[in-house]
Amino acid sequence: MKLKSPSALFLFALLSCHLAAQQPGDKAEVIPITASIPEDAEVLKVIAPLAAEIKASFDLPLVQAPQGLFRSRRGEENLLGYWVSDVMRKAAEAVIGTPVRFVITNAGGLRANLRPGQLKVADIYEVMPFENELVVIELTGAEVIQVVKESIVRRGGEPCSGVKAVVGGTPEAATCTITWEDGSPIDPGAVVKVATSDYLYGGGDLIPTLKQGRKPFTTGLTIRQILLDQCAGLAKEKKDLLPPAPGRYTIPVPIQEAIRDRKFNF
Amino acid sequence: MDRRDFIASLGAATVASHLPMWAADAPVSSSRITLLHTNDTHSHIEPFGPGNGPISGLGGVARRATLVRQLRQQLGSVLLLDAGDTFQGTPYFNRYKGRLDYQLMRRLGYDAGTLGNHDFDNGVAMLVEAMESMEQLKHPNPPFAFVNCNFDFKGTPTLGRRVQPYLIREFPGIRVGITGVGVAFAGLVTPKNHEGLTWKDPYESLQPVVKRLREVEKADLVVVLSHLGYDMKGTAPDDLLMPGQVAGIDAIIGGHSHTFLDAPTRVPQVKGETLIFQVGFGGVNLGRMDFAVARGAIRSASGSSMPVLG
Repeated sequence: MKLKSPSALFLFALLSCHLAAQQPGDKAEVIPITASIPEDAEVLKVIAPLAAEIKASFDLPLVQAPQGLFRSRRGEENLLGYWVSDVMRKAAEAVIGTPVRFVITNAGGLRANLRPGQLKVADIYEVMPFENELVVIELTGAEVIQVVKESIVRRGGEPCSGVKAVVGGTPEAATCTITWEDGSPIDPGAVVKVATSDYLYGGGDLIPTLKQGRKPFTTGLTIRQILLDQCAGLAKEKKDLLPPAPGRYTIPVPIQEAIRDRKFNF
Repeated sequence: MDRRDFIASLGAATVASHLPMWAADAPVSSSRITLLHTNDTHSHIEPFGPGNGPISGLGGVARRATLVRQLRQQLGSVLLLDAGDTFQGTPYFNRYKGRLDYQLMRRLGYDAGTLGNHDFDNGVAMLVEAMESMEQLKHPNPPFAFVNCNFDFKGTPTLGRRVQPYLIREFPGIRVGITGVGVAFAGLVTPKNHEGLTWKDPYESLQPVVKRLREVEKADLVVVLSHLGYDMKGTAPDDLLMPGQVAGIDAIIGGHSHTFLDAPTRVPQVKGETLIFQVGFGGVNLGRMDFAVARGAIRSASGSSMPVLG
């Protein structure tokens, strides 16, 4: 640094005094990476052609979602998760050729919301970046009920398709009624087909009863791909993507709060 | 920090670099080191777009590169570290399978990183492939190191030989020991994606490593890159409980919980203190912690903000 003018020398002296007063090692901070920091030319040169490649494939338009689809916001149901579960159910039924009574996925695996408007391929990748595959297993009715209860205790109810759960009472003395989606009772002894992801079936997100699933059938379909296919299908039929109706989980607020504080169990 | 403040802070640091160190009252043997760090960058190569609330417009690897380069030029003794979950989160990961993320980290001059649960999302073989592509990159910066002391790599030697339990870096007057710990796979990583790897208790794994760094390797500063999470509320080992379980750690650079801390959390120790820091996720922030070492002892380290002139 060359300091030529008297004013520059004065500034230098001023800054020197200030800095010399600092104790060594007393700096710790968060530096936000804002637009005021210029982009490094060498790094930008690497990224630019790859960004163009990504943009070309991921900017392709998919379908209109006039209302968008959102994960659960405080006290609301996870309609995005319900949609994903419904799509998984339809795809699983198409693969195995028989009805799938119950589907469960994990809210934690859905990494973004679908904002209202024209969806692009990239939006679905952001919702479901993982390579998780669709798996079909067999559970008894009693195990289905247990899976739903475990998901309520752990996460306030993971997104599902095929059942309805109504929790009542207080955090200390809760009741829980789980039926099929039409309100009919679940026969504990019945054996039913259940679809989920290989992640959850492998023990991810800790729904232990799901691991007891029998006759696993790995479809080879990634969940992301079936979501992309569903969107493309809707667009082809000139239909919009609309959120499914709420009402799969009914949980009083005090119990929701106890679940969030990890102080709840049945 | 807005543009004006940012430039002013760089100006102050530039002036500082031209002054004799500790001209005022510090002992001659005092040295200092700056730790710069990220966590959970999750393949956010580009800045966050609009519609992302308070982090809209923040982040971006090309900006981080500029900031790191300038701070290195101004501060000299700098380590650039990452606490894991480099992978997963944008189409860049789906398309380039983590190779781009690790290659860019080498271009930025990272010294070391650790492994998070999402770094196993495409399995061990793909993780090794991404590491290999970073090693083979033609670039003046050396490949960066991976540190972890609580994974048993016996069943996966190709990964095992790329991850070391700890690392020593030497700077004028300071030896820095760096190790790392990862979160349990159960419930986070599907078994086929961590085949050959076994998770071990992080505190029990750290105790002998930190002891060795202090007593055998004579490290002046011990840093843990942790992908355990900041505060797991008693359900799992975490960063907040680590200082009480493992003596001798100066700094924990955390990740996993995507916690936005404004300043490091300070946990007093019998000797000195442990600083715990984590700067959110997605590369929206760069963390900075300065340490001064005088005669082999950490003299001061605090969570105060960097003074900004101008």
